[in-house]
Amino acid sequence: MTDMEAAIKTVVTTFISSSKGKDNLDKKGFQKLVSKQLGGIMEDTNSSSAVEELKRGLDENNDGKVSFQEYLSLIGYVANSLSQSKCGTNADAS
Amino acid sequence: MPSELEGAMESLIKVFHRYASKDGVLCRRELRELMENELSNFLRSQKDPAAVDKIMKDLDTNGDGKVDFEEFVSLVVGLSIACEQCYQIHLKKTGKK
Repeated sequence: MTDMEAAIKTVVTTFISSSKGKDNLDKKGFQKLVSKQLGGIMEDTNSSSAVEELKRGLDENNDGKVSFQEYLSLIGYVANSLSQSKCGTNADAS
Repeated sequence: MPSELEGAMESLIKVFHRYASKDGVLCRRELRELMENELSNFLRSQKDPAAVDKIMKDLDTNGDGKVDFEEFVSLVVGLSIACEQCYQIHLKKTGKK
């Protein structure tokens, strides 16, 4: 498997293991995912009110849960800002 | 130490910039190289020039003929969705769900 394929696999399996195979992440599952997996690059990941706020922003269909697609928009957003902050300082990261 | 998910995002960024020369965007040739080298297991049609054109057209939402990182993320999202669906089908087949 290539680096990129392994990265995609991680994105998918992180969601699946946090949702325990269900289609959506509930409040608890989402808080756990954010605090465990995104604590290094996002702020306030241990604050349940901040994470709840984030969840509300992602929850496009307002069902109180985070679907796989809604999770992917978070990943996309975080990856974009990460890329922008990296390119600002050193374009030759690799 | 970065988490697995953070590491995955780092490596997506690295892969993109490995192919996007100094201008920071992928032209058609660079996208083809990326698909040939980095998605050789996921995309069987990656050497089909028509498939590259189609993916290029789908990704290039602002129509400038190049794929920037934001547009590249849509490819990652699309592949993740496909990957997740395969996984669910696999689970159903093996009867674990």
